Amino acid sequence: MFKILFNKRAIKPLAAMLLVGILSGCSSSASVQITSDFPAVLSEPKPVSASIVFDESFATYVAQPDKNTVIDLGTAQIKLLSNAFTGLFEEVEFVSDRETVNGDYKLVIIPSIREVQVSTPSDNYLNVFEVWIKYNLEIQSADGETIDSWFMPAYGKTPDAFMASKSNAIEEAAIIALRDAGAKLMLDFYRIPAIYGWMMEQQILEESK
Amino acid sequence: MKPTINATTSPTIKIASILALATILAGCSATTTIDEYRPTADAIDLNPNERVVVLGRRDAGHYETDREFIDCVAKRMKGADIGVVPEQQFIDSIYPWFEPRTAPKGLPRLKRLMQDPLIKGQVDSQAVRYLVWLDGSTETLDQGGSISCAIGPGGGGCFGFAQWDKLSVYEAIVWDMTNLQEMGRLRVDSEGTSYLIGAVAPIPLLTPVKSDACSSLGNQLKLFFSAPEKL
Repeated sequence: MFKILFNKRAIKPLAAMLLVGILSGCSSSASVQITSDFPAVLSEPKPVSASIVFDESFATYVAQPDKNTVIDLGTAQIKLLSNAFTGLFEEVEFVSDRETVNGDYKLVIIPSIREVQVSTPSDNYLNVFEVWIKYNLEIQSADGETIDSWFMPAYGKTPDAFMASKSNAIEEAAIIALRDAGAKLMLDFYRIPAIYGWMMEQQILEESK
Repeated sequence: MKPTINATTSPTIKIASILALATILAGCSATTTIDEYRPTADAIDLNPNERVVVLGRRDAGHYETDREFIDCVAKRMKGADIGVVPEQQFIDSIYPWFEPRTAPKGLPRLKRLMQDPLIKGQVDSQAVRYLVWLDGSTETLDQGGSISCAIGPGGGGCFGFAQWDKLSVYEAIVWDMTNLQEMGRLRVDSEGTSYLIGAVAPIPLLTPVKSDACSSLGNQLKLFFSAPEKL
């Protein structure tokens, strides 16, 4: 066995395989699919009914922030935002098309992604991988009138680790960015001036106090 | 003629080798300093059914308090019979209120959060009495020397010498989740130099700076929570 391992003929392919392994570890491209689950939000929903429109382009969204990086966000962002909206509204329905919205629901929200950006240690000269997801929420009343178009940026970062792959680091940063999107939504949705005004108009704030 | 080692010089060589090894290993030890502040010298009350959670601060722009360090400190504390809730379990159970964006940075914000019956209920259901915030990082400060490795048909090897300094700085703040007050602060600074000697095979002489910071901080936190007979 020892002789076989240290036979000169055997060393060359082994060395070649080792070199290929090392070089693939140094690869600068990353293709990531986020399959993570997200925790349920801990929140008391307000007495508002809302239809959330996850259209097909949003549900299957694949970001390509640069030529070397692909992040499949579609499934994960649907899971995350479904959780978050369930914590915001007492009654909520999820539809795939604006046309199929139930007219009894008072708000219609259509999320979309404006842009996804990534930054690696070679870009930012820091020991962190960063991911930004810039969401836009088109918020309408039941009759189709726009209440607000809300820009909702989310950010995640993860430390660079010795010999860790770029794909794993970007995946981790994207998961943190998605969790941040949920946190931003929970924290700030009812602070949007237009939403606050709409709720005053609908006398919802008094009901929920 | 074959070189031979004289039996009378052998003990000298052994002593010299031991001294050289001791010098090298001494050069690889970290210098660690701990500063502690707490209002009283008494150990913090922690009933057997109460638990502690150790969380990392992750809101700084240029570094992250790494999970590996948090786990290391939590393991150290568990060793002293202190019930420790895993970090991710606690953060998930209370999502999204302890994410980097939403986590309370001071006691006034914690007091506001704990006024929410849902959040307070979740903290109480896990019997979390104390929260330890850890904030800091380990950085490479200075590096010098060079080492090069080559491989050819006849064999390969590494030649040269490299060294680098690492500094770990971590601060721990202990919050009482029942009385909503700060119970004390700890700061650990650990610094050391590591070496890599290339003598055909690369020989690393690594100084465990982060591990030293973890054990020092963990041991000191044990003293915060434990009566002397527990240690």
